[in-house]
Amino acid sequence: MSSEGGAARSADVLGWYLYGVVAADASPNFETAGLAVDPAHDVELLAEGPLAGVASRVSLEEFDEAALTERIGDAVWLEQKIRAHEQVLERTLSAVSVVPCRFCTVYRSESELRRFLSERREPLQAALGRVTGRVELGVKAFVDRERFVAGQAPRNEEIRELRERSASLAEGRAYLERRRLEQLVSSEVERLRTTAGNDIHARLLARAGDGMPLTLQAPEVSGREQEMIFHGAYLVGEDERKFEAALGSLAAEYRDAGVEFELTGPWPPYNFVPEELRAS
Amino acid sequence: MSVRDEQQLRHQVTLVELVDRVLNKGVVVAGDITLSVADVDLVYVGLRVLLSSVATLEEQRERTLAAAGARS
Repeated sequence: MSSEGGAARSADVLGWYLYGVVAADASPNFETAGLAVDPAHDVELLAEGPLAGVASRVSLEEFDEAALTERIGDAVWLEQKIRAHEQVLERTLSAVSVVPCRFCTVYRSESELRRFLSERREPLQAALGRVTGRVELGVKAFVDRERFVAGQAPRNEEIRELRERSASLAEGRAYLERRRLEQLVSSEVERLRTTAGNDIHARLLARAGDGMPLTLQAPEVSGREQEMIFHGAYLVGEDERKFEAALGSLAAEYRDAGVEFELTGPWPPYNFVPEELRAS
Repeated sequence: MSVRDEQQLRHQVTLVELVDRVLNKGVVVAGDITLSVADVDLVYVGLRVLLSSVATLEEQRERTLAAAGARS
């Protein structure tokens, strides 16, 4: 062995990547082989008092601050690590409740990680208590403008008239009428966003342990052409079926208004981490 | 749009959704090493490249649909 090779190896110091925090007594039996952000190391549970960190060893060459900035520019690396982070958390979630950490939470040593678990024991336990037996579900609602207009026309005289006129008029005049129709529809959709948004949130919240509206996503994020009119996250436990039933009746009620719903998750409860653990 | 493009589009959208959660939510106060604000910005720059390819796929799909409509 050359001395150079030895130096390279000794420089490859290992740290710990923390995915999330679970209760130490939960002793989950989940299969995470090969899922870790560094596939060479297994996911382990590091118990410290009543809590345990879901963690795996990582090379600090790869995850040190200076290195990170460079790695992030590598889309392939980034996607791989983000998916690994999420997969470990989802696998954990399938067995036990978990408080998820942000992507790229790394400790230089096991003792530093343990110190975090003991120093933040109280807020972490409170956070865990809040999500125990529950998962996060995401709800999105989109409006299809054409179907919305078709649904409005029988009730909204102004829309009906503009629609008929723009269909019968000559091209130049029809253009102006169409513009007016577009503006009118925009303001009606705006109104729908407020009224339906409030209604949807209130009714879903009544069937969930907790919930919050989230920022609406642009089409390039949502991947749908239709305009998003509602986006929310809900903490749902054993009453998951009631929650889905509530969503089902909302979908049926709003179908005529051209509104479509989408349910995502179960997610690790990223949106339900208390403020205290979010900001330093 | 081919089945493969469709899959790729869905794949990228879920990644975008994922990035939004794993970067901005969850326990942030932990870690000796964490992403800096500048790092997070960089992720979004990288993501925009991804997103522009999503937009391209969308356009392709629209063109395909329009072409299909013209034929029928």
